[in-house]
Amino acid sequence: MTLLNAALQGIFLGAFYAVLACGLSIMFGVMRIINLAHGDIAVFGAYVMFVIVEHTGVSAFIAFAAALPVMVVLGYVLQLTVLERSLKSGILTPLLATFGLSIVIQNLLQLAFSPDVRSLGGSAGAVTTGSWQVTSGLSVSALGLVVLVVAVLVFGALQLFLSRTRMGWMMRATAEDADAAELVGIDSRGVYAWATAFAVAIAALGGLFLAIRSVFDPVSGPTQLIFAFEAVVIGGMGSLWGTLVGGIALGVAQTLGAQIHPQFAVMAGHLLFLVVLIARYGGGRDFLPRARRLLLARAGR
Amino acid sequence: MLKGTGLVLGGLAVPGVLESCLTSTSSTSSGTIKIGYISPITGPASGFGEPDAYAISLARKALKDGLSIGGTNYSVEIVNRDGQSTPSVGSQQANDLISSQKVDLMLTTSTPETVNPVSDACEAAGVPCISTVVPWEAWFLGRGGKPGQPSPFKSTFHYCFGVEQFFLAYTHLWPQVPTNNKVGVMYPNDADGNAIRAVLAPLLKTAGYTIVDPGPYEDGTNDYTTQIQKFIAQDCQIFNTFPIPPDFATFWRQASSLGYTKHVKIGQIAKTGLFPSQVSSLGSIGNGLASGVYWAPTWPYKSSLTGVTSKQLGDGYESSTGKQWNQQLGASLSLFDVAAAVLKASGNPKDKSKVIGAMATLTVETPVGKLDWSKPVSLAGMAVPNVVSTPIIGGQWKEGVSKWPIDFVICENAADPNVPIASTLKPYTG
Repeated sequence: MTLLNAALQGIFLGAFYAVLACGLSIMFGVMRIINLAHGDIAVFGAYVMFVIVEHTGVSAFIAFAAALPVMVVLGYVLQLTVLERSLKSGILTPLLATFGLSIVIQNLLQLAFSPDVRSLGGSAGAVTTGSWQVTSGLSVSALGLVVLVVAVLVFGALQLFLSRTRMGWMMRATAEDADAAELVGIDSRGVYAWATAFAVAIAALGGLFLAIRSVFDPVSGPTQLIFAFEAVVIGGMGSLWGTLVGGIALGVAQTLGAQIHPQFAVMAGHLLFLVVLIARYGGGRDFLPRARRLLLARAGR
Repeated sequence: MLKGTGLVLGGLAVPGVLESCLTSTSSTSSGTIKIGYISPITGPASGFGEPDAYAISLARKALKDGLSIGGTNYSVEIVNRDGQSTPSVGSQQANDLISSQKVDLMLTTSTPETVNPVSDACEAAGVPCISTVVPWEAWFLGRGGKPGQPSPFKSTFHYCFGVEQFFLAYTHLWPQVPTNNKVGVMYPNDADGNAIRAVLAPLLKTAGYTIVDPGPYEDGTNDYTTQIQKFIAQDCQIFNTFPIPPDFATFWRQASSLGYTKHVKIGQIAKTGLFPSQVSSLGSIGNGLASGVYWAPTWPYKSSLTGVTSKQLGDGYESSTGKQWNQQLGASLSLFDVAAAVLKASGNPKDKSKVIGAMATLTVETPVGKLDWSKPVSLAGMAVPNVVSTPIIGGQWKEGVSKWPIDFVICENAADPNVPIASTLKPYTG
């Protein structure tokens, strides 16, 4: 029963990772940009919601709805002003540009809000501490369930959007081959700008969940970014459903790892990530025989 | 592993925008004393650096006419730098202050990530260095001092609380609320957590407490189901932890949702819960958490350099910044009291060996208490002449006791009976 409970909590945790990773996955899938500022954008979103809550006293979820248009505009403008220019000059430049962006966001937040820690947990209502005891060893936390349902809805909606709408088709076409898409009249600039706008808006959702689960400060972004990256890689770079599965696999690996020993929790996630990385990108099935040949060759010398 | 990455990213990401007040004079004339000051202004430990600007402004004001030492009047210049909460940056800033600014004395504060590398750089260069706000065991052992052996440090000096002060505070605080004496502990796998597990936990056992320790966890863990289930099963009515602030927030919210906080009668937190925002941001589940302070405006001491009492210091900070007092304020200002006192006692502040020599017998009043280096701490029966211990006083965060959303109420004073007690510990009911 404890294992089952741990796995269940792992699924909830994994859904949180998946939401954080979603925007990262979109930007990589469509533009091949690895956005190092993704975690900081999520934290920026949390601050936008925090300001709204402070000034109006509304619930954190309503603040998220109000912050959404701000984030969409921000993403759109970010693409047109910063990322588009950097995309023109090779693959390394966007990486450096987002790295710089991460520094700028952290320092602006620190100037504006001081290093004090904040949280939206208090303004999210009973959902943050409520839970249902299914059996003595199995409990479902309300917040965990909310995160899981929202994650599935977000990924489902994105899937529908990509497969059913004209904009979605254009996005997929541009992701496949931007030049060919231009030839048939698709405005890849606009498509890229919308992709970034979506990514930034969903990052803010990740920021909301982070701010409810825990506390945040101007430098909270990078810590969460590493888990989001792992979720994207485990699920397969650029695959949307893969990111959801990857996030959940990471979460379950961490909670099951903690059952072996608490110190093993984070490590188990990293190990899963490494195994997937080697299996997928390091030569796959070929890896072990090759390693053996290498060792034998060394021993023979 | 994760913490390392976070710190590196965070550290790289903040290249000293707030490195303020750096004066342009690069050479030192014989009549000028330069004091270096390094603290974390940006990065994960930046909460500690927040009151520094105010403390430094008080010190600058008190030193604006210089210091009269041995019949000579020296002008004093304070050069402050941001350690960015990152050891490599702290070390680099210290070396820069030593070699290009040619500081005569170094001051540094707040967390081993800043203080230890700065102390090491000063030790290597033979520059006198005074530091605080790192548990002294972490400063001494963490830099290669060995229990039972003579201190290897010649030019670096430290004053802070240690494990003994936590033990005193806890054993005087916890009996105030009836419990089953079972303590669930969450000590992470980092420098502080491992030191506390090795030293404090056995002491608590000898005092009659049962320790339930699920084992070390990594900083940055996002799920604590395993530990919480264990604490519920064992009915641990006392909870004690030394985590980084976001980890505690995640843990406590999850503990509340899984029903563990209903078992808790005393929630004793350390390392987090030092500053009001870390507790008030938790919302209602933060009310009633027990913690400890190393300075508060009710401390009955004043700053010998500025003449400011603890109460004036707290009030002055609140009225000038519009923010609630926090305990680092007294500690930051105390460094300048020690600096001024030792420079005067040296007779010749430009002679580093005289300054280092004067530290050995220095006594000085600061907001955190009267410090006396002729009565150093001892470890495994061997005196550690560089280190003086200061108190930790136990108490509880409570809503609605002052104009601020949450305030710290002192409930015991075992480590320093001069500090007034305001109330007794009440059971946690969040």
